[in-house]
Amino acid sequence: MTQLNRSVAPGFYAIEKLVFPEYQKIEIKNEVFLYALKAGTQAVIRLDLIFDAGLVRQLQSAQANFTASMLSEGTPTKSAFALAEALDYYGSYFQTRANADDAVATLYCLEKHLSQCLPLFMEALTESIFPEKELDIQKKNSLSKLSVNEKKNGYLCKKHYYKNIYGANHPYAAFSNAENIQAITRETLQQFYQNNYIQGLKYVMISGQFSESSITLISTHIKNSKFEPKQFQQPVLNSLLNPGKHFIEKSDSVQSALRIGKSSISRSDADFRKLQFLNLIFGGYFGSRLMKNIREDKGLTYGIYSVLEPNLYGASWYIDTDINTKNRTAGIEEIYKEIEIIKTQPIPSEEINTAKNYYLGSFLKSLDGPFSLADRLKIIIDNNLTDNYYPEFVSILNNTTAQDLQGLANKYFSTDDIVEVVVGKK
Amino acid sequence: MIQYNTFQLSNGLTVIHHFDNATQLCALNILYKVGSRNEDPQKTGFAHLFEHLMFGGSENIPEFDLALQTAGGESNAFTSNDITNYYVTLPANNIETGFWLESDRMLSLDFSEKSLLVQKNVVIEEFKERYLNQPYGDVWLRILPLAYKEHPYNWATIGKEISHIENADLDQVKSFFFNFYAPNNAIMVVAGNISLEETKRLSQKWFEPIPIRNTIIAPYKQEPQQTEARFEHVYSDVPVNMIVKAYHMGGRLNEDYYACDLLSDILGGGKSAQFYHKLVKEKRLFSELDTYISGDTDPGLFLIEGKLSKGVSFETAEAAILAELEVFKKEPVSEKELTKVINKTETNIQFGDISLLNRAMKLAFASFLGDINLANTEIDHYLAVTPESLQMVAKNMLVAENCSTLYYHAK
Repeated sequence: MTQLNRSVAPGFYAIEKLVFPEYQKIEIKNEVFLYALKAGTQAVIRLDLIFDAGLVRQLQSAQANFTASMLSEGTPTKSAFALAEALDYYGSYFQTRANADDAVATLYCLEKHLSQCLPLFMEALTESIFPEKELDIQKKNSLSKLSVNEKKNGYLCKKHYYKNIYGANHPYAAFSNAENIQAITRETLQQFYQNNYIQGLKYVMISGQFSESSITLISTHIKNSKFEPKQFQQPVLNSLLNPGKHFIEKSDSVQSALRIGKSSISRSDADFRKLQFLNLIFGGYFGSRLMKNIREDKGLTYGIYSVLEPNLYGASWYIDTDINTKNRTAGIEEIYKEIEIIKTQPIPSEEINTAKNYYLGSFLKSLDGPFSLADRLKIIIDNNLTDNYYPEFVSILNNTTAQDLQGLANKYFSTDDIVEVVVGKK
Repeated sequence: MIQYNTFQLSNGLTVIHHFDNATQLCALNILYKVGSRNEDPQKTGFAHLFEHLMFGGSENIPEFDLALQTAGGESNAFTSNDITNYYVTLPANNIETGFWLESDRMLSLDFSEKSLLVQKNVVIEEFKERYLNQPYGDVWLRILPLAYKEHPYNWATIGKEISHIENADLDQVKSFFFNFYAPNNAIMVVAGNISLEETKRLSQKWFEPIPIRNTIIAPYKQEPQQTEARFEHVYSDVPVNMIVKAYHMGGRLNEDYYACDLLSDILGGGKSAQFYHKLVKEKRLFSELDTYISGDTDPGLFLIEGKLSKGVSFETAEAAILAELEVFKKEPVSEKELTKVINKTETNIQFGDISLLNRAMKLAFASFLGDINLANTEIDHYLAVTPESLQMVAKNMLVAENCSTLYYHAK
C-alpha cells in the first residue's frame, strides 16, 4: 500500500449544474394559484397561504402583527382553546406570521391527518372573530415581552438601525411601543383582516411528500372558501434616510450591539446576484473577511456578519455584531478598514474561487429538502423571477471577475450615507 | 425507517452507514464521547472551548474551513453535557474531502498558541453575549448548581466562570485531545448518496491508520437523591419577575424518560397545553409559562419556567403551578390528552427525519446511548406510555423535596 499523503487534498469536482425541480402550478380560482412541490421521503405536508397582509399594508403600528397572531384565537363556533386542542390532537402545527411584505399562515401535518386538520385550519382563517377577551390577554403579554426586548441591546440596535435607514414612519421600521399596543382594538384588527386576508389571498403553496388527492382536497377547500385576491395597489411609503452615527447608551452592558449599513438594491436589479456574492466574500459566511479578521484572527467577537436584505419596496445592506465594550473602537475601525480594502484592492482569485465553490455547494444544499425548496420558490414567486434564478448562479459566478466585484464594492459599499448604530456603555 | 449498516475499524472507530439516493449530498458526522460532564470541576467549559480549537488547524491541514469550503462543503459542531458532535456536509462526489479533514484532526491538531489565545477570547465573548448580556441570560448558570450538588451537571457547558476559560493552557489542550479524541472514543456516521463499499474503502483509507489510544474516562460522582426543597432568590435589572422550578428526573435510558417528556408536553407544549390554557389565559397569572426537559444522558431535569404577570406575587404564581401539578398526581390524564401529545411527537419525528443531517446525528446519538435501534424505535417507547404510568411519574417526581426553585426578582 502506498503511503497516505495527508498534506495533499483529495481531488474534488466543481459544481457545474444546479437544478430547480419541477413543481405544479394550478389556478384554483380567479388569479389565485396553487404551487405544489414534492420532495423528500416522509409523508408530510407544509401548507402555506400567503396573504397581502404584511407590514406595508398596516394603517397603524402593531396592526399586522396582532392580526396575524390572533387568527387562531377563535371563530363563532370554536374558542381559541377548542381550535388549538383539535389541531394539536392530530399532531399538527398552526403558525401565522406577518412579514415586511406579506403574511403567511402555515399548517404542518402528517399527510394521513390532512383531512382532519384542513377544515380546522380553514375555519380558523376564514371565520376569525378576534374576541375581546383574547385580545386583552394578547396585549398584556405583548407588553410584557416588549419590556424584556427593550432590555436587549440587539433589539434596540435593530430598531434604531431601521428607523434611520427607512424613516421612523416607514412600515419596515414599525417597531411597536407600548402606546401602539394599547391602541389596538378589535375593530382595527377586523378591518385589517377583512381587507388584507379575506380579500387578500395571494397564492397557496404545498411542499413535502403527498398524493394528488391531497392537492385536490386543498384546492377544493380554497376554491370554496371566501378568500378573494386583491387588486394590486402600490403601498404608500414614507422613506426618510437619516445617515450618520447614532449612539444609544445602555450603561449596564458588558458588550455593545453594533449595526453599520446603508440602503441597497432589490432582487430584480441586474447587479443583485453578483452583489450577493460580493457580500458573501465580505461577511456572508464563516470564511468571510469580517469573520476571519475580527473573530478568527483578533478574537474581538463571537460572531460578525454582513447581510443583504432585499424587501419588495426597499433594501438594506448591513454589518451586525456584538462586541466587547473595550474592543468596540478597534472593532469598528477594522470594519471600515475592510470596507476600504474591498473597494481599493482586487479580490485574489483563490479567494473568489473558494467563495464560489462554497456558495454553489450551499445552493445545492438548499435545493435539496422540500421546505428549503419551498422557501426558494416563494422568493421566485414574490419577486417575479424565473425558475432559472438559482440555476443561473453557476454561470453568473463563473463569469464574475475581480474587476466586477471591485466595481460593485465601490458602487454599493461606499461609506457615503452610511448609518452606524451602537448600543452599549459609553 | 432509517436504514443503516454498521462496522468497526481495527482502531476501534465505530462507523455507521446510511444510504439515501434521493439526495445529491453526503454528510459526515462524528460524535466524540466527551462532554462537560467529563471536565475537572476547576477547569470547566473546556470541552466546549476545545470544540472551537478543532477548527484551528490540524497536523497536515492549516485551515479546516478553507479546505472544506473550497470543495463546496459546510461544517459546524456543538458541545453538550455528554458529547461533542462535529458534522460536515458536501456534494456527494466530494465527500472524500470530509474524510481527509476529519481524519487529520482526529490524528492530531497542530496545537497552536495563537489559535488557543484567539478562541479563548471568542468563547469569552460568547459567554458574555449569551449568558451575561441578556435579560435572564444567567438562569441556567444559577439553576444548575442549585439542582446538582455532586454530579458534573452542576455547571453549564459554557463553564462556571470566565476565569476557567482564561486559565486554559496548551498542556491541558494536548492531554484532553490525546485522551478523548481517539478513534476508540468516537462514532462516525456517513450518510447520503454514497455506497457501503465506498464508505468502507474511504473509512479504511483515512481513519484506519490512526492509532488506538489509551482513553481513560474518569468516573464522576452521581447525584444523590435530593431530600429537601431548595430555594434561591436573585435580584436583577429585568422588567418582570420570573420563576423556575427544576425537578430531578430519570436519565435518557430510563423508561420514565418518555413519560416525563410527554408530561412536559401536556403541561407546557403549545396553546392547548394545560399551563397555557389555565394559568396564562384563564387566570392570567403568567405572560409566558413553559415546561421542558433537559434531555441529558444521566438523570436530568424537568423544568417549569414562567414570567409572572404584573402585580402577581411569587406566592400566588407558585401556588397556582403547584395546584395544577396536583391534578396530575391525583388523577390519570385522559386517553385523548395522551394521544394528542403522542401524535405531536410523531409529527416532530417525521418532520425531523426529512433532514439528512438529522438522521445522521440521530444514528450517532442512538449508538452512543448503546442502542442504535433507538433511531427508529423511539416512537414505540412513547406509545408504551399509559395514563397510569404518567400519573406514577408525576406522583414520584413532582414533590417539593425533589425540587429546586429560583425566584428571579425584577429590581
